[in-house]
Amino acid sequence: MKRGWITWDQSELPRAAFEARLKTARQLLAERDLPALVVYTDVWRSNRVRHFSNFMPYWNRALLVIARDNPPLLLCGLSPRVYPWIRSVTILEEILPSPNLPQRILQLCTERGWTRLGALDFDRFPYDLRTPLSSFAIEDVSLPDAVDEWEISLHRQAARMAREGLAEEMTQGIGLSDHEFTGRLERRFRLAGAEDLIILLTNGRTPPAPARGDKLGEFFSVALALEYRGHWVKMARNAVGQVSDLPVTAYTETLSGSYPYESGRGPIFAARWETAHNGLRLFHGDTYLRANKGTELL
Amino acid sequence: MLNRERLSQFTQLMAERHWDLLLFYGHTWRKDFFRCVLNVNFSGPYALAALDCSGELRSFVSDPWDAEAITECAASVDFLAGLQQLAARRGTVAIAGMEMMEAQFVQAFSNPVSATFDVEEIRRVKTPREMELMRHAADLADRGYQYFAGVIEVGMTEYELVAEVEGFLKTHGAEDNFMLIASGGTEVTGMKPPTSRRFCEGDSVTTELTPQVNGYWAQICRTLVLGEPNAKQREAFSLFSEAQKAAEDFLKPGVNIADVARVQNDVFRKYGYGEYTGPKYTRVRGHGLGLHCDENPYVLEDVNYTVKERMTLIAHPNTYLPLSGYMVFGDSLVVTAGGCERLNRTERKLFQK
Repeated sequence: MKRGWITWDQSELPRAAFEARLKTARQLLAERDLPALVVYTDVWRSNRVRHFSNFMPYWNRALLVIARDNPPLLLCGLSPRVYPWIRSVTILEEILPSPNLPQRILQLCTERGWTRLGALDFDRFPYDLRTPLSSFAIEDVSLPDAVDEWEISLHRQAARMAREGLAEEMTQGIGLSDHEFTGRLERRFRLAGAEDLIILLTNGRTPPAPARGDKLGEFFSVALALEYRGHWVKMARNAVGQVSDLPVTAYTETLSGSYPYESGRGPIFAARWETAHNGLRLFHGDTYLRANKGTELL
Repeated sequence: MLNRERLSQFTQLMAERHWDLLLFYGHTWRKDFFRCVLNVNFSGPYALAALDCSGELRSFVSDPWDAEAITECAASVDFLAGLQQLAARRGTVAIAGMEMMEAQFVQAFSNPVSATFDVEEIRRVKTPREMELMRHAADLADRGYQYFAGVIEVGMTEYELVAEVEGFLKTHGAEDNFMLIASGGTEVTGMKPPTSRRFCEGDSVTTELTPQVNGYWAQICRTLVLGEPNAKQREAFSLFSEAQKAAEDFLKPGVNIADVARVQNDVFRKYGYGEYTGPKYTRVRGHGLGLHCDENPYVLEDVNYTVKERMTLIAHPNTYLPLSGYMVFGDSLVVTAGGCERLNRTERKLFQK
């Protein structure tokens, strides 16, 4: 679950950003003559709904409904007792309690007189949501995996936080247990406002993995995934300080798509690679922006 | 890593149900079905373990690092190709976790059946090794709460406290943690992720702390008052304490989980607070624990389920009361032959600092 500080700082991300994003979605709806677009989100697959509303479920799942003529609304699996908090960190005003999401969306269609709907990445909905909606006229809609200037800026900020933190902490790791080093990083980055973290470590005999009680030696590597304001970055560093430029053969993961960590090169992607050193494996990686002018290190 | 006892149970289940292939699906949020047979904390977006009738297990992951972490059965890194390969096989395919699987993955198979209910039922009764891990997780929850109660200060923000506790739990071996928090007075109606609210003198601070150790989650719920608790906070706590004890005294093999909820709610009814046991003010009176931190069966008066020995769950009568605002109190429990045993050792009191 996301248990870091979830907030909406309008100096980082103004309301105008959401208005522009919703306008794009509504243009697509108009082109296809659809009354509304449904977007799925859960504790992990939160990029798309975060993009349109700043809502990131700390737990559970929800559907965002973007209507052509009304403000977006949220069908939410969480208790109404947390709706004031949701309103305080998102652009959302209308939130409907929805323990049964398919039933609630169908009810909404009846109430609004909608006979068709668009659903973003409908075939990627969880099976238990997709199946009850099969009989309704739902059009599977794809949106390009594009990022705007605000998202780039927040990914950049997340990358800065990760890079500077790792640069300071790597020298402290040798001699600690991998659990202790993980604890240090968790404390540091969560105090700095990270929402979520995944930390993998290795002494070079295996790829990075969750801590298992090993003492970190002079050739250890760490792979860090960090989420800041809903924007993920990934980075890998080794204690030797060995750095490589982005090689063609690196393993790459898309961080900006509907499902972070899938292999590929979306507009924001992470790349990682390894080199051999004294018979051990050293790991290094960074997050990049793929833009028209080329690939830029974030 | 390979849960051999489960493997044998699942192979037997396949024979009983006439399934030719049993798949265990996991994704980043819900790894529990995958991990119940192959306990690897994978880091890619999804993973699948495939068991055939002969008892042979294979796995399909989506990140090359995960493939290297799996050493006790074959591991393929091309998840989608693996899915197609499995779909091309003849026979009945059952999927544990099918409901949460992406629809396009399920659609690769012709007429798959859901194995979720059957696999969950087997998982509820813990093996001796699983009990050992549950006890480790409960011990860490106790130590984590002790740390929580020691480090909290007036003026600290909620998210700073969570960062401190998270650092402690990870330092001491947690691989993950489910943690909700709330602070304030009678205006607080529920818990949520931490905010930038600063703790004040007189605040009631509630938390559900749920560390995960080697895949298994144990939970503790406690309330702490910053300063001297007032009479209403004390009165509220006595209700929660009595309700939780009622659940513990009642819980044993053979009872209906609905009645475990009822005995807790009856305490609130007895004191005139019955309306605060419904969905407007609370969610559940407890839930199962294991490889997922919020397992079925939910402890609710409308859920009928016969409790079994070696099930692990938490009983927590957490709810809003006008006396105190939202309050929590609960311990992880294991059902024994004659009743239940508490896995947590933390003092059962209204904490104060």
